[in-house]
Amino acid sequence: MKLQTLRLLGLGLILLVFLALPLLLGDYWVYTITIGFYYAILAASWALLVGYIGRISFAQAAMAGLGGYASALSVQHAGLPPVLGLAAGVLVAGALGFVIGRLTLRLHGAYLGLTTIAFAEILRITATAEYQLTEGSRGLQVEPLLQDGSRSEYYYLFLAVTVACLALMTWLLRSRVGLFFQSIREDEDGAASLGVNVTLWKTVAFAISTAFAGLAGGLYAHFVQLITPSMMSLQEMGIVLAMAVIGGFHNVVFAALGGVSLQVLLEGLRELGEWRLVVFGLITLLILRLMPNGVFGTVADVLTDRLRKSGDDK
Amino acid sequence: MMHEQLDISGLVKRFGGLTALNSVDMTVGSGELLGLIGPNGSGKTTLLNIVSGYYKADGGSINFERRPVLGHAPHQLARQGIGRSFQVTKIFRRLTVLQNMLVAGLSDGAQSQSEATDRAMGLLRDLKLERLAHERASSLSGGQGKLLEFARIMMLSPKIVLLDEPFGGVHPELKRFMHDHIRKWNDSGVTIILISHDMGSIFDLCQRVVTLSYGDIICDGTPEETRNDPAVLDAYLGDHHGAA
Repeated sequence: MKLQTLRLLGLGLILLVFLALPLLLGDYWVYTITIGFYYAILAASWALLVGYIGRISFAQAAMAGLGGYASALSVQHAGLPPVLGLAAGVLVAGALGFVIGRLTLRLHGAYLGLTTIAFAEILRITATAEYQLTEGSRGLQVEPLLQDGSRSEYYYLFLAVTVACLALMTWLLRSRVGLFFQSIREDEDGAASLGVNVTLWKTVAFAISTAFAGLAGGLYAHFVQLITPSMMSLQEMGIVLAMAVIGGFHNVVFAALGGVSLQVLLEGLRELGEWRLVVFGLITLLILRLMPNGVFGTVADVLTDRLRKSGDDK
Repeated sequence: MMHEQLDISGLVKRFGGLTALNSVDMTVGSGELLGLIGPNGSGKTTLLNIVSGYYKADGGSINFERRPVLGHAPHQLARQGIGRSFQVTKIFRRLTVLQNMLVAGLSDGAQSQSEATDRAMGLLRDLKLERLAHERASSLSGGQGKLLEFARIMMLSPKIVLLDEPFGGVHPELKRFMHDHIRKWNDSGVTIILISHDMGSIFDLCQRVVTLSYGDIICDGTPEETRNDPAVLDAYLGDHHGAA
């Protein structure tokens, strides 16, 4: 069997499982996995930036929050329908991502990471302090995306948007743009010497990545119908980072699967109370030690290897 | 007839208190194969880095095909026809050999993916890398990596190629193969500036040799003139003559 066929079969099988889950699970887990789709888009958007162009950011959760607030406020104050509110959230998060990308062009590694943390904290503190607009840490009530939408309806909507986002990201990353991103990740000077506009693509990558984060945040806000500054916290960012890394951040689909899986795991550990994050941390350490390419990245590597070997044997 | 393709005038580059290039004047004709030699720290790579847009100059001017070079970004100069290699190869190790080629082929948006792929495969065939097209570049040997860097530059259809130490650590047989290709590109009209400490290659390939020492041009002449120039012998070739 060809590698490409196996990949398509695997993805088809995963999609079928997700389509069937609401028929097998109760409302609580359907709700949990729907939130997992929010994390899936967020983790994939982070993987797009870090895994493909090699730019680190700790502002992804804050960008999701920004998208959520922009969407909620534009619905509340400008009277936009939630769908257009989501578009506003995407635009605002993407525009700020473009600005951050532009301002941090020459920064790398720890310096870039620290700068994005500063941006994230500015956003979170602003959302907390601007009480009249955001209702601070009490949280802002948000219009639902679907009037009287059931848990299953939200589940399938989130699943469809997640699949669409991943398809769009995959298409982009397989195009010449993805090639330019990866060449910049490998060597900026080398890429520039071949005619790649490094400045442009580094900025665009930030904007695209944060636009997806903004969409995820908007969806979340209109689903939960409440948005608080805590969704922009560094602890949330840590969880998103863990999801992408544990899934496999060199592939947006693996990172997304990491998002859903870890959300389910975190909910499964909820009975442990405060200890759940400790257990979660230990599991994370164990996985990183045993599978440095992430769970799904490692599984894919093993399957690819076996397939190649069986091909060689014939 | 050969026309003036690259015109460098009064070029100055300082790093803090160190003057790396001290009002350098140099012209390179279209289709020339020029050697640039000098001891370590003489300013050779600095000159290449300024011509290709990686360093800013502190004074002077550079015109390429009568258009100013200074102030342009490396990618803009690459698209204008200035190709370059690096002392340490900058191949994209986690991409395949073909993908490395396509980055260059698709960067200006002028070619479709299939056109760029066809052209890339042709160049890889010329350089005996065709069978490795779908392998990751990390699996290439050092010499194959140098060849891939050559091939990527040619994907840009450059008018001038700046080669910085292309023969470092390369097997003699592969070096001869690289010589043949440098001559072939030059015969097809591509101007080449070659930096190398390998005097055998410089004197074998180049029609003209420019010698830099402490940021000044101390000799500009034929290989024979350079070989016998007292200033060059004193500053540089005294050590290398036997090796050549």
